Amino acid sequence: MSSPRPNIESDYLTVFQEVTRLISTVHTSQEVMDLVVRRLPSLLDVDAATIRLLDAGTNSFVLGAAWGVSDEYLSRSTIDTKEVMDTLMEGRPTARKNIDVTCDHDSCAFISNEGVKSAMSLPIIFQGQITGLLRLLTKDLREFSDPEINFAMSLAEQVGIAISNCHMFQEMKNQVTFFKAQREISQLVNSTLNLDQILGAIVKKLPGIMGVMACTIRLLQPATNRLELVAASGVSEKYLKRGNISRENSIFKVLKGEPVAIYDAPNDPRVNYHDEIKEEGIKSILAVPIKNDQEIIGVLRLLTDSHRSFSASDIHFAVTVAEEGGNAIEKARLYRKITLLFNQIEEHERFLQTILDSLWMELLVVDPDKRVIMVNKQFLTTHQHTEEDILGRLYRSISPRTVEDEQQFHLEQVLTSCKPVTVVKQYQEGDQEKWYERHLTPILNSNGQVDFVVEAVNDITDQVMLEQEHSQRMKLQGVIEMAGTAAHQLNTPLFAALGTAQLLRDDLSSEEMIEEMDLVISNLKKMGELTREMIDVTGYSSSEYVGETRIVDLTPAENK
Amino acid sequence: MAEILVLDDVQDAVVLVKKVLTRQGHNVQTFTEEQEAIDHVGKNHVDLAILDIKLKKMNGIQVLEEMKKLKPELKAIMLTGYPTLETARTAIELGAGEYCVKPIDISELKEKVTDVLAG
Repeated sequence: MSSPRPNIESDYLTVFQEVTRLISTVHTSQEVMDLVVRRLPSLLDVDAATIRLLDAGTNSFVLGAAWGVSDEYLSRSTIDTKEVMDTLMEGRPTARKNIDVTCDHDSCAFISNEGVKSAMSLPIIFQGQITGLLRLLTKDLREFSDPEINFAMSLAEQVGIAISNCHMFQEMKNQVTFFKAQREISQLVNSTLNLDQILGAIVKKLPGIMGVMACTIRLLQPATNRLELVAASGVSEKYLKRGNISRENSIFKVLKGEPVAIYDAPNDPRVNYHDEIKEEGIKSILAVPIKNDQEIIGVLRLLTDSHRSFSASDIHFAVTVAEEGGNAIEKARLYRKITLLFNQIEEHERFLQTILDSLWMELLVVDPDKRVIMVNKQFLTTHQHTEEDILGRLYRSISPRTVEDEQQFHLEQVLTSCKPVTVVKQYQEGDQEKWYERHLTPILNSNGQVDFVVEAVNDITDQVMLEQEHSQRMKLQGVIEMAGTAAHQLNTPLFAALGTAQLLRDDLSSEEMIEEMDLVISNLKKMGELTREMIDVTGYSSSEYVGETRIVDLTPAENK
Repeated sequence: MAEILVLDDVQDAVVLVKKVLTRQGHNVQTFTEEQEAIDHVGKNHVDLAILDIKLKKMNGIQVLEEMKKLKPELKAIMLTGYPTLETARTAIELGAGEYCVKPIDISELKEKVTDVLAG
C-alpha cells in the first residue's frame, strides 16, 4: 500500500467484504478483536494492528487485542501524544509518521525500540460513543492517504458494530445464564439457615456461573464494624492472608454502595497489594456491596485470571446475587442469634432447675389464680407426686399439711398485701411431732402487682429439738451449779456445828444429855450426807408437790 | 506435840479445829486471812498446815503453793466443802498429805492429823 494501486476501489471492496464476512462468523467480542488484528495487517499492508477498549471505570483505554508488536511495546503507559488522543476522543481518525522521533511523552523509548515509524489511529464508535481504538502500525515511514484513512475508518466502524453486536449477543446469553443461575443460587441460599452453608454456596457457585477464577466474601462485623473474610474460593491461603484491605479505595466505594470493576488489577491504584495480585495471577476484579435491605453488610469480590471488562449485566448480576446473599446471610445471622439466645435461656433454666432441685426445702410457685405452676424435686419426692399430677392444680388441693383455712389465709394475705409472710407451725405426722417454717414471698411485676408467690417450706423439727435440748441443758446446768454452791456454803457451818457438838458430847457425863447430843450429831451427819448428794448431782427430774408447786428430785452421778 | 496452822475464811471453823487439836496436845495457830497465814509460815516453825480451799482472796491451793515455796518440808491437809477432781489432784501434786471433805467427823480429823504428822 505504499502507492495507490490501479484497482484500489475494487481492492477496498474485497477487503471490506472479507472483514465483514469474517466478523460475522464469530460470536464473542474477543474473537472479533483477535480476528481483526490478525487479518487487517495483511489486507492493508501494515506491520501490526492493535485494538484497545475504553474502560468506563477508569476512563482509560485497555488492551483488547494486538498482533505484530511485542508485549513490552504493549505495556507502555502512554499510548500516543495528547494531540493524537484528543483527536481520537473527538471521534476523528489521525495518521502520523516519524512517531518515534516526534514524540513528547514518557513512552517514546518503547516506540523506538519496537521500530514503529508510522501509525494510523482510528476511533471505534458505536451509536455516537467512543468504545475503543484501532491502530495500524508500520515499521517503515508511511504516509497514509485520505482514501486509506477513510477506508480504515469504515473498517473501524464495522469493528465497532461487530464488537457491540457481540457484546449484545453475549449480554443476552449472559442474561439467560444469569437468570437461571440466580434462581439456582437463590434456592441454595434460602434452603438453609446455616450461615457457613450460605457463604459456601455463594463462593463456590458464583465463579463457575460468571466465568471468573475466584470469589471472596467479607462481612462487616457488627461489634467492630470491620471487614472480616468469611468465605473464599479459587485463591490461595497466602493471597487471602496478604493483609488488611479495608483502606483500599475500591472498598471505600463498595461500602458506599457502588460496584467497582477493575480491568487491570495488578496496576490499578484502587486496589493495594499489587505484588500479591500479580503473584496470584489475578487480572481483573469486580467488587460489589452485600446489602440487606438498604444496609451494607459486606463486600463480595470476583477475581479473574484474564483481563475482563465487566459488562453492565455482569455487574448487575453480581449485585443481585450479593443482595440475595445479603438477605440470606442476615436471616442466618438472626437465626444464629436466636438459637444462641434460646440455648442460653435453656441453659439458664437448667441451671436454675438444678439449684431448685438441690434445695433441701420444698418449693412451690403459685400464680394469682392460686394454681401451682412450679414445684421442685424435694417437694415431689417428699409427697410422692409427679410434676404432671401437680402443675395447674389449685394450691388448696395439693398443699401438704393443710390446715385449710389457715393455709389459704396466708396465701391470700400475700396476694393482697404484696408483702412476704413467714409462718412457723407444728404439725402431727403420724406419731411424730414436726415443725415447719413456711416463707411465702410475692414476686411483683413492674406495676407492683403480684405475678407469682413462691412458697418455701423448711422442716425445722431438728432445729427446734436442738433448741429445746439446749434449753433443758442450760436449766440442768443452773440447777447443778445451784446445788453445788448451796452444798458448799452449808458444809463449813455444818462442819463447825458437827465438830462442836462432838466436842460437847465428849465433855458430857449425863447419860440423858449424851443421848440427846448423839441425836443432834446424827442429824448433823445426815445433813452432811445430803450436802454430799447435792455436790454429786448430775441430773434432775421434777414431780408434783402441792398445788402448782413442783419439787426437784436430784440424781447423783452413780445413779445416772 | 506439833506446831499446827489452821486457815479458813469462817471463824467458827478455825475455832473448832483449834479446840479439837489443842485437846490432842498440839500448839495451834488460827487464821482467816491468807497473807497473814503465809507470813506466819515464813517467820515461824510450822509442822502442819490445815487449809480450806475456798478462802477470801486466794484459794487454798495457791496458799499451799506459796507456803511450800517458803517451807518445802511443810506438811498439809486440805479441807473443802466443795470437792473437785482438779483441786484434789493439784493438792496432792503440791504435797498435801490428805484431802478431806467437810463436814468431817472430828475423830476422823484427829486420825488424819496423826497420820500426816507421822508420815
